[in-house]
This record gives sequence, C-alpha cells and structure tokens, in this order.
Amino acid sequence: MKFALLITTLFGTLSGAQQLEFNRDIRPILSDKCFFCHGPDQANRKSKLRLDTEAGAAYLDKRVFVERIKAEKPAMRMPPIYSGKTLSVGEIATLERWVAQGAQWEKHWSFVAPKRRTPPSVEMAGWVGNPIDSFVLARLEQNGLRPAQPSDRGRLLRRVTFDLTGLPPTPAEVDAFMADTTPGAYERVVDRLLKSSRFGERMAIRWLDAARYADTQGYQSDGERVMWRWRDWVIDAFNANKPYDQFLTEQLAGDLLPNARRDQIIATGFNRNHRGNSEGGIIPEEYAVEYVVDRVDTFSTVFLGLTAGCARCHDHKYDPLTQKEYYQLYAFFNNIGEWGRYVKYGNTPPYIAAPTKEQEKELTELEARHADARKKWEQTRPVVAQAEKRWAEEASKSNEGIEWMPGRALQTQMKLTGAEGRFDGKREISAGLQTGGFGYLDKFTVSLWMKPEAANGAVFARGKDTSEELGYGLYLISGKLQFHMTQRWLDDALRVETEQPLALNQWHHVTVRYDGTRLASGVHIYVDGKQAKLKTLLDMLNQSFFATAPFRIGGGSGMRFTGEIRDVRVFMAALHEEEIQSLAPRESVNEILAIAAPNRSEAQRAKLSAYFIQNVAAAQLRSAWSNAFALGEALTKLRESLPSVMVMQELPNRPDTHVLIRGAYDRPGAKVDRGVPAALPPLPASATVNRLALAKWLTAAEHPLTSRVAVNRMWQMVFGVGIVKTVEDFGSQGEWPSNPELLDWLATEFVRTGWDVKGMIKTMAMSSTYKQSSRASDELIARDPENRLLARGPRQRLAAEMVRDQALSAAGLLVEKTGGPSVKPYQPAGLWKELSNDGDYVADKGEGLYRRSLYTYWKRTIPPPFMMNFDSAGREACTVRETRTNTPLQALNLMNDVTYLEASRKLAERMMLEGGPDAGARIGYGFKLLLARAPSGREMEILRSSFDRARDRFQTKPGDAVALLKQGDSIVNGALDKTELAAYAHLASLILNLDEVVSKE
Amino acid sequence: MQRARINLQVTRRQLFGRAAGGIGATALASLLHGETPGAGPHFAPKAKRVIYLFQSGAPSQIETFDYKPLLKKLHGSELPDSIRQGQRLTGMTSTQASFPVAQPIFDFKQHGQSGAWVSSLLPHTAKAVDQLSFIKSMNTEAINHDPGVTFFQTGFQIAGRPSIGSWLDYGLGSENQDLPAFVVMVSQGTGRSADQPLYDRLWGSGFLPSKYQGVKFRSQGDPVLYLSNPEGISGGDRRQFIDDLAQLNRIKQDEFHDPEITTRIAQYEMAFKMQSSVPELTDVSKETAATFDLYGPESRKPGTFAANCLLARRLSERGVRFVQLFHRGWDHHTTLAPAIRGQCYDVDQASAALVQDLKERGLLDETLVVWGGEFGRTVYCQGKFTPEEYGRDHHPRCFSMWMAGGGIKPGVTYGETDDYSYNIVKDPVSVHDLHATLLHCLGIDHTKLTFKFQGRHFRLTDVHGRVVKDLLA
Repeated sequence: MKFALLITTLFGTLSGAQQLEFNRDIRPILSDKCFFCHGPDQANRKSKLRLDTEAGAAYLDKRVFVERIKAEKPAMRMPPIYSGKTLSVGEIATLERWVAQGAQWEKHWSFVAPKRRTPPSVEMAGWVGNPIDSFVLARLEQNGLRPAQPSDRGRLLRRVTFDLTGLPPTPAEVDAFMADTTPGAYERVVDRLLKSSRFGERMAIRWLDAARYADTQGYQSDGERVMWRWRDWVIDAFNANKPYDQFLTEQLAGDLLPNARRDQIIATGFNRNHRGNSEGGIIPEEYAVEYVVDRVDTFSTVFLGLTAGCARCHDHKYDPLTQKEYYQLYAFFNNIGEWGRYVKYGNTPPYIAAPTKEQEKELTELEARHADARKKWEQTRPVVAQAEKRWAEEASKSNEGIEWMPGRALQTQMKLTGAEGRFDGKREISAGLQTGGFGYLDKFTVSLWMKPEAANGAVFARGKDTSEELGYGLYLISGKLQFHMTQRWLDDALRVETEQPLALNQWHHVTVRYDGTRLASGVHIYVDGKQAKLKTLLDMLNQSFFATAPFRIGGGSGMRFTGEIRDVRVFMAALHEEEIQSLAPRESVNEILAIAAPNRSEAQRAKLSAYFIQNVAAAQLRSAWSNAFALGEALTKLRESLPSVMVMQELPNRPDTHVLIRGAYDRPGAKVDRGVPAALPPLPASATVNRLALAKWLTAAEHPLTSRVAVNRMWQMVFGVGIVKTVEDFGSQGEWPSNPELLDWLATEFVRTGWDVKGMIKTMAMSSTYKQSSRASDELIARDPENRLLARGPRQRLAAEMVRDQALSAAGLLVEKTGGPSVKPYQPAGLWKELSNDGDYVADKGEGLYRRSLYTYWKRTIPPPFMMNFDSAGREACTVRETRTNTPLQALNLMNDVTYLEASRKLAERMMLEGGPDAGARIGYGFKLLLARAPSGREMEILRSSFDRARDRFQTKPGDAVALLKQGDSIVNGALDKTELAAYAHLASLILNLDEVVSKE
Repeated sequence: MQRARINLQVTRRQLFGRAAGGIGATALASLLHGETPGAGPHFAPKAKRVIYLFQSGAPSQIETFDYKPLLKKLHGSELPDSIRQGQRLTGMTSTQASFPVAQPIFDFKQHGQSGAWVSSLLPHTAKAVDQLSFIKSMNTEAINHDPGVTFFQTGFQIAGRPSIGSWLDYGLGSENQDLPAFVVMVSQGTGRSADQPLYDRLWGSGFLPSKYQGVKFRSQGDPVLYLSNPEGISGGDRRQFIDDLAQLNRIKQDEFHDPEITTRIAQYEMAFKMQSSVPELTDVSKETAATFDLYGPESRKPGTFAANCLLARRLSERGVRFVQLFHRGWDHHTTLAPAIRGQCYDVDQASAALVQDLKERGLLDETLVVWGGEFGRTVYCQGKFTPEEYGRDHHPRCFSMWMAGGGIKPGVTYGETDDYSYNIVKDPVSVHDLHATLLHCLGIDHTKLTFKFQGRHFRLTDVHGRVVKDLLA
C-alpha cells in the first residue's frame, strides 16, 4: 500500500528493524477497521476481545489474530465482509509485525497528559532560535533533510504581518524594516503587530468560525439576530491578551462567576450562537434538543478536539465515550430555560442588554440625570399638592367648562355620541384604515367607555370580519375581556383574558396597552383605571402582521357588540399607569371639581392632578414634572435602543436529563446526571457541578486535551496544517501528530506561561522554522507535499477575508474601526430575493462597503459569495479546520467582482499619485503595496508590456476607459487622465490576481 | 470515465490536501492510480446524468397523483384515530379542534397504457405517464420544510452534510470540459408568491471540499456569479490578461515549485472558457419554435420553471452531471385549490416536455429525471373547510414522486397508500431508499460512496437505504 509507505517514510518511522509504536502505527488501523465491533460501542461488540482497552486487548490470541486477518476463506477473514471494511496488504504486514514485536498495547496518546521533554540536541545547533526549532530540526535530521534558507526580509515581513494582523504591511513599514539592520529588528516588528488592534480582529475570525457566529437564525426564513456584541467581546479579549483559560471560562460559564460582570455574561453568547428554528409548526421539544446537541458538539470539538456527536445515538465507535457520558455532558447545557421555537426576528430569551462602552457611558449619565430629576420632582410634590389644593378650592367656585384630556401620542379619537355609540349586536362602525395600523413591535394603547349588555361581542378589532383572522382586537367572551394579536391563529399569536368578568349593564372605562415586546406579558388591560389580572391563553407571537382591513368598533372576527361604546381613543404609545388612570374618569375637570374633595375617586384625583400639573401649575413646578417625565421617556428609549445579546443562564430547578434513545427527542431512556467522560480526568471536587466546574476541569494543568487542542489550532493558523492535522479530532480516528514531542512541548509551555496566547503566537513567529523561505525543490515537494516536516516555510493561499481585506487595504479604501453592528459590502443584486421573500440584500453606502470582512453581515442560508468562494466556513455549525481550494470561480471573483475592480482603480490612483514620475516607478509601487517587494527584471518586463498594451488600447477606445473606471461607489479622481488611470487600473487588477498576491509566501 | 481537465490538473499536493479533508487511504490510493476520488462507479451505470425537478414547499399528493375515490364519500367526516394512529402533527394544526377529511376538488382519470391515475391539473404529465415511474409510497422523517428539504438534499435533517449533487461530483467527477458538474436553478411559483425560502446550503458541499458545491445559474445578472467582464474590458482584453497573468505566475512556479501555482494557472484558463461556454449555454435563441412550443409559452420567459427545464436539457446535453431545479410555491396550508392550479400550470407542460425532449434526442436512456417535493400533505383540512379555501398541512407519512429515464422502468406505479392517502399499506420508500436507488442508476453502490470526516466514514444514505429494485429497468 503506497499510502502507508509514504506516510511512514515521511515521518521517518518505518525502516525494517525499527520498533513499531502502538499509537502511531497500529491504533489507526485497529480503530478504522476493527473498533466498530471490537471497540467502545457496547451494543456492537461481538466478543470479549476489545482492542480499545488494555483489559480487552488481553484477550488477543496472537496466533488466531494473525490467522484471521490473513484468512483465505471469506467466512474466516477479519474484518468480516458484512462490515464493508478490508485490510490492505500493507496493513496486514504491519499488524503481523506488531504481533511479532509482542503486540504491546498503549492508552490513546491524547488521553494521557502531555509530557514536557527537553528539546532534543541537534547537529545544526546554530539554526535553533527557540525550542520549536530543536524539535523540528531533530526530525529533519532524522530524515536527512536540512532547513531552507531564511526567507528574504520583505516576504517574511509580509508573511508575519498577515499571520498576526490579517493585512499586508504598508510600504512605509517595509522600508522601515528594510532599513533597520540592528539586532532585534524582526522581534520589534512582531511586538508591534501583536500590539496592534488588528491582531484581535485577525484572531477573532477563526474563533467566529469555531463558534458558528452569524447575524441570522439559520433556519427557513433565516431572520436577523443580534450577536455582534459577543463578536466584539472576542476581539477585545484577543487584543487584551486575555489568558486562554479565562477566555474559555468566561465563554463557558461567565454567568456563573462570582459577581459576574456584564462583559463576562456577554461572553457566554458563545453557547447561544447556534442556529435557532422559528419555522411555524415545528415541534419545539425537537429543536430544544438540537440546540443542546449543538452546544455539546461545539464544546467537544473546540475544547476537547473530540467528535462527541457520534455518541448522541450510540456509544462512540472509536473513542472511549459512551452514550450515557454524552448525555452527562449534555446535562451541563440544557438548563437555560429556552423554548425550542426561536424568535423569528431578533433575540430569543435568555438575553441581556449589551451596551457598548459609549452607550454604557450615555446610559449612566442619563440614569443619573433621570434620578436627579425624579428626586427634584419628588421634593417638589408637597409644594405642588399645596398649590393644587389651593387652586382646586378656588376653581371649584367658578363654573367655567374645562374640556381637557390627556392627549399624548393620540392618533384617533371617536366620541360616538348618542345613537352613534349604540350597538345592537348587528351594526359596527369603521374608524378607517388610518387608525391603529400597528405591527407586533409597535407600542399602542386603546381606551374607551363601554356598557355591555351581552356577554359576548367584539369591542374593537383591526382585521377582517372573519374568525381567527390576522390582526388584533378586544372581545368580550363569556363576559371576560379577551385581547388577541394574531398572525396565525393556532401557533403564531398571543391571547390574554381578564380573570374576572365585566359586570354587564354598567359603564366601564377599559384601556388596553401593548408595549411592543410581542409577549403576552406586554399586554395590560385596565378596567376603570385599575389594572386587571390577566390569564395568558397563548403566548406564541413570532411574526409581525399588518391587517389590511380597517379598525372596527363594535365588530370584528364575525362578532358584534351589544350595548354602548363611547369615546374611543387610540394612542401610538404605551401610556403610563398614571396616564391611563387620568383617562378613566368620565367627568370633566369641572365636574370633578364640583365633587367635594374627600368624595373624589382615585381616578378623579389622578385626572385632576394631571390637569393641574400640565396646565395650571407655575412654570417652575411644571418643569419639575415635565423634566422628570421627559427624561424617563428618553431613558426608556435609550434602553430599548441598546443592542442585546443572547446569553446562558442557570435556572435553580434543573430539568431531569435522560439518555435519548437513538438520539431522538421523544425517546427518553435512563436518567443521567452531569459528569465528564471516565477516560478523562475527574471533575474538580468543587461544590457545584455546573458549567463553571466544567471550565475548571478543562483548564486544570493536567488536562490532556485542552492545551494541546488550543496550541494545535494556533499552529494551523501560522503554519497552515496542524501538528495534528485533524484539528477537530484528537481521538482514535484522528491523525497521529506529525511531531508529538513538539506538540507536547507547546502544550506545556502554553500552560506554564499562564495560557498566554500572544506569547504562544510570538514563540511560533520567532522560530527559525517560521522564518524559513518557502521556496522548495520539486523533490522536497514530492517527498513532503503538505510541508509536515517543515523543511521550508509555510506557503498557502490567503484565507477568504484576507484576500478581500488586502485589496481594500492596498487600495487605501479600508475603513478601520473596531467592532459595531455588521455591515453589508457589495454583493451581486438579487441573491437574497431569488431564494426568499424576506427582502433583498441592500448594500451599505459609504464606510460599510470598506470595513474588514470579519464585520460582513452573515446570513447563514445565503452567505456572502466572496467569502464562500474562498473557502470560508459556512457558520452553520462549528468549523475548526481551515481548507483551501483552487477553483475557476475564485478566478472570476477576483477578475470581475466590483470589490476588486474598484480596488484596482483606487490602487491605480495611488500608483499615479504616490508611485513616482514614470510608469516603471509607478508599477513598482503598486507591486510593493501588495507584495512588499520590487518586481524582478523579467516580471517588470511583462508588467510593463501589459501596461503599455492596455494604455494603447484605451487610447484607441477612450470610452472603454471611462466605462472601466465606473466600478464602485467611490469617487473617481477627476484630476487624473482617464486613459492612463484605466491602464493602471488594468495593471492593478493584474497584480491583484497574481498567485503570490493571494498567497502567504 | 473521464474527469474534466480541471480535475485532471489535480496536483500531488492537492491529493494530499484532499486526504487532509479526510479521504480514506483506499480512496487516496485509487487517486494515485488515476481514479476519481470517490472511486465510482462501482458497476456499469445506466444513467450518466440526473435532472432533479425539486418541487419545494411540498405538493399535495391528493390533488396530483394519489387518487383516492373513497374521499368523495368521506368528505367532511372526522379523520378516524385508526388512521391517524397518534402520529405527530405540526404545531400549526396539532391544536386544531377537528380534522375533517377533505376530498380533492379536481377530477382524476387513468392515462396511457399503464393506466396511471393523474388529476386534471396535470394534462401534459398525464400524456407522458408511460414514460414515468410513480412512487406512491414515499415517506420522510421530517415534518417541516427546512429539515424536510435538507433531508432530501443531504440525507440528514440537520444542515452540514454534502448535497446529492456534491456527492455525485465527488464520486464520479465531471463529464464535461468547461462547465461545472453540478448546476442549480431556482424559480418562483405563481401559485403562492410568498412561499418557503431556499438556502444556499441545499446545494452546498457540506464537509466535502467546496469545489464540489453546486453552482447556481441565475436568470438575472450574470448566470454564474462574476462571469462577465466589466464594461470596458473585451473578451480579447481578458485573453491577453490571462496570458500575462500566466506568464507572471509561471515565473513564480519556476522559483517556488508550488503545484498550487500550476493549478491556479489552469483555473484561470477554465474561468476564461466558462466566459464563453456559459453564455453559449444560456443563449436559447437557436432553439426552434417547435421546442418552445413543446415546453410551453412560459419557456420563453427567463427564470421560469419552463425556461429552466429547457436549460436543464441543454446542460445535460453538455454533460453536466447533476442539474437540479427548485420550483417554489407548493406550501398550501390554506386556499390550496387556486394555489395548486397555478403551481401545476407552472410545471406540468415543461416537466413532461423535458422527458419527451430528452427521449427525442436519444438522451433519456442516460438521463435520470426525478420529480417531487419534500413531503406530502394531510388528507384533513387545515383552515376553512370550503372548496376554494381548504388547505392541507404537512404530511410526512406518504407522498408521491415520479422518476423517468436512465435505469428506471417506465410505466410503473410502485407502492400504495390507504384509502385516506394517510398511511402506506405497501412497499414504503424512504428518502434513503430513493437516494440509494438514484445512486444505483448511476452505477454507485450507496454503501461504498464514503468520505471520512471527524473520524467517521460518512455516506449520503447514512447507515440506511435500500435500492428499490422494482423500479429499475
């Protein structure tokens, strides 16, 4: 088998006499071919022979083993035919040699804590910059290889600038580095890059892939959600160099930390980034399970490097993880009190307000001002009361009519006097389409007087006159008031009912107030100025509605009112309780004044006071009131404008967790409690077994996986391929580390340095290994195509976001601003509209077009094409492996997308304005802007002739030059000759398409 | 089996890069021996290509193909518990007070020599029945659209796995030189304008490398994203541009020896070819009037299902392995009758025409055509119980599909449902079975088309699937 031979040669292991190593050479074969029946899955195990445990392997009869794997007769041969698995000739030979060498069994390497080894001694000791190099070089020397020459400085600068900040170096940075020949020049560059706020942005994007961060829900209509405050937390955490153990702990259990700060709670958004289904008709219990499963799978992949998901339905086939243990992990994540049906547009509870720093400041200020104003008003109150009393005594003597009612936000008033307000169970009246056209996020209040004479009827409604219609309305049902808001009657609506019936044949003042929260708890009904107790009948409003039928009084949903209705008022605000109280009295101010003070009702007193303070009181007193009121309104408005973020919480009464048979939500099996897999260290003996305990468990220094998995991902970021290439799988089916000693050194170093992320990245970037040239001979590439031995520096196509960010940066278009709501750069028209009805993508104007790609609005079901074309993770589920493909669609994207055409034009302007006096200098400048080096002679010849041809071509057809320059929203520099500019734009586009430009070299 | 040039350019580094993606050692070995990554076909295929006409939103089987004469009598009666059998219902109707049986308001007749029952809504399909093979006993596990369509597309309800077309591209490679192997086109139904959305991931490559993802051909703007040169740049300019680029990239290749560079040079060539092959493909001006007549008047309007059917034939003729059309608008919870009239008008003539056109061109034998949605609809009424307003909720337990062409026995009806079209009484066909059968027609053993990801050998059919032999020619 060629593959096996190749790999083993590559890692310098298999040469005739050499001792086999169980974990490296044997376990992968057994795992892939035998564990299915002779492994961890109890249900599938066919005999006592178990090759995944030491005890089980004791049953191995060496002679029978060899006989069976080599058996000629199909009925005797292992693995059996029905398994669909076969051993290759090479694998059989290897297993045979293993038996010959004594069939030694070892525990899977990644479940044993990393051992820190002294860096090995090497021949070329002078090459060693830090311990990484000793481990790498020892391996190279074993294989008879030598490291490559150091990279030239320009290329190295570009490489490290991309790796640490995701952007290319500027020409000034190139010049400075070239000029600095003093010792430590490179280290100073590394330190500068690590200090840059771009570092956090570069690191964050891979974390967003892992945490499946996006701006939409991910199912069906795929509505918007708000999680960018969590994204910004990640950027800040990297920039502040938050130690990885804290980074991990806050995201897993920030809410459970003692005196948790707001930012620590925001961090727990990590576990709420999964997709959420709001499709009508789903069975919520089914999806509630999927969310927890997603959390467990993400947790396992990101922190443990294990494919726990396999154990959802049955014991893991390859790794020591039982189905029961899967649900023990599950039990950490299912106690947040969520409902399986997610909110269609917006965040789903639990969530918290997550103001930015600026907003936090504004909020604190406004709260203080409001408290101050409230205090002043409270202090003023006795004076007001005195004044009111004096006034009332005076005013009650006069007989002047005072027609006044509270009028804030009044949209419509229908007085309905005389016969107009009389309803006979048949007639209804329309208040027109201009009244009450509210959606589910609008706040409103409707008040009226009514004297019901029958126990059933419609009081008012906005919607068609048929039952179960879309819209809202107030009804009398068996004497009780019911308020409905309906998108779809059975499962997308809210309905509340007063606990007490309304007395018939009596006048009542009734007010309904809705606060725009789309929740039943946001509806209040006041009867005669007093809040009525409500019963929630349905609380499932999830989509907005707009009733195209008019606002009806005395009718709706096919029902009619019997009795009298007067003075219907519709307000475009959720009125305060005092306001509602002051609406309640039927009597005019005069009439109230005419009543002796002790005999006035509470509502009458409220109306009188409201009238006094708003109309009569001295200016100073009035402003004390209006100030407090206005600031209160402003504060509400500010609070409602704050971004929120979905977070984790731990409810006091935990639900029972059961194993789910075959993973099905509706097939609970045995009850389980929280716990961690037995093959890993035990949980710390802490008081409470919760997510915080889980975080402590993960970050214990002796945990075999956490640090290895983390440094391996960093290695992948810097060197292109992980030391364990299967960065998501450190289990039996994962790949053997290309350099286990190096991995363990890095892992222990990471812990030793206090989980210092910047420190670890710096160690990698400072190694001689990293600084090598990526030039290679055909022979070396044939021998080590993926550069696992590192006899050369990394060379790899840039990640999706870097391809675009580089173009914007070199063109001078990039708008650098850290954080904030996601933005919408260019995208071909119609991509959203052709797949869904939720409106089309509307690109931003101005700076939103030019922000770093990490801030691009991510709609999960229709992700940005320029990202997906370049292998970005899809953000549906956790992704930690970086992939690179090479496709014609990428070529088309780079050649014809307005993003790159506009960047070419702006780059051309820079070449002409900053590049120097002649074409050669200008072309060289453009080249340097992207590649941190000057073109070679031959390159310059080709570039030059391409430019000359383009210039001639545009001179003959100047119209084409003008047309080409139209790409993009940015202004064309009118001072530059259009033909020239187009020719440079052509050249800039050529440079932007170069392999070297889209690669890290 | 000939892989397209673009795939022949697979370099050694890519091979290993792909192994990185998780291909098993066996597949890798076969790669080294010049075979395709998925190592298919496993036996002689009947079909070389597939055209899948996906009816998104779930068409009612009761108004189209699953004729139930007793419904006339049962109309208005309550669905008996003996039929419902405690089956789970969607949250949209589970709290409905009653479940009255609703008969279809359209007539059914038997057609052709095979005597297949088809409703009056589908007169053209009715004429083609002897070419088609009906499955009346399809069933699925999903009861909502997103998981339902995702299940059909990827064999799993939760997103993240490769779509059928990606599996085929991975398993069989491309048959053509200058077009993608997997093309998708979408159209909006006239029956229900605000219908279920679609998602890019439905033709995504899941955990397979992204080069296997479907390429969406669009009816507005560029048919393939970023295909056209900007204004001011001619085809000749682009040719020169790519030549200059190749020269510069070759200098780099000589210096760094990275095979990715050679691949990139080839991909720019491929991109240039697509700039002419795709417009040539989408330009239907040379199609005859007779062809347009066959596909119906809608086929002259770009972006309609009929126009897409015609393009599907053109793609198939050019060797595109998997062409998938999605027609939206079938989610008829209420006012089913007018809505389904519109939908049937959209698809009836063109679906039948496609089968006939392929046959006339001698392509039907090697092209498998599949027609169907993600689940069926309930026999009981959702919403108002009147002839024009009645609707039907989602029904996963039974629904109808048809297949035709490469490898499929024509004129067959397979499977049977009860008198209510509620339960299957004979020969159930699961989504996995359908996938297994589809792969079988293409010469693939569904248990052998695997990809190792996260330590597991994944299949389109997961651990299920049975080839429905009775459907095979």
